[in-house]
Amino acid sequence: MNNRLKVLRAERDWSQADLAEQLGVSRQTVNALETGRYDPSLPLAFKIARVFGQPIEAIFTED
Amino acid sequence: MNNPSSPRRPHGPGAYLLVVGASLVLGGLAGAASAFLGDQPGPVGTAVTAALVAAAMAAGFTVCVWWWRGIDEAAREAHKWAWWWGGSSGMSVGSVLLLTLMLRAEEQSLPAKLGSTPADIFVSGMMCILLFQLAGYTLAWAGWWLKHR
Repeated sequence: MNNRLKVLRAERDWSQADLAEQLGVSRQTVNALETGRYDPSLPLAFKIARVFGQPIEAIFTED
Repeated sequence: MNNPSSPRRPHGPGAYLLVVGASLVLGGLAGAASAFLGDQPGPVGTAVTAALVAAAMAAGFTVCVWWWRGIDEAAREAHKWAWWWGGSSGMSVGSVLLLTLMLRAEEQSLPAKLGSTPADIFVSGMMCILLFQLAGYTLAWAGWWLKHR
């Protein structure tokens, strides 16, 4: 699955640690998400969508 | 689902070390208490020892549950993957190695440290497989995180 996490985070000038803190996950997890090597669970995907104020499908797309 | 307005910081390595330390302390306490209180002949001694070990394990599991609930989902996934693939593979390798050595027992001279009685050797075999399991688990856990960087 592809995602726009890195772009969205950069637009807000947040560090990985900042985003991790808002999501309640570790910085390593944010890194794994951004590189597309780890797909989040549905609850975490909803949380990400809420943090960025966008629908899930605007952040995550199928390969 | 958790309340998004107040995300909790996930447990880090410190919490993991706390779990390991707590497990060691609980095991040590159960062992010491068993040596003093369970040192009675017959079923009473066995029952006291079993009760003490069960209490220590229950306390240890409680700490583990606290830790498990506090780590994030990727960390859980890494541990689950590592336990299944690394732990199972390590156990298989250790088991096959031990069985192979057993089949050729007459040609081997077991190190004295493994024990001399069948019970001692049995426990040594279990510990040996556990070590293989933990080694496989650790390698797989590190591999998971390297792959998901």
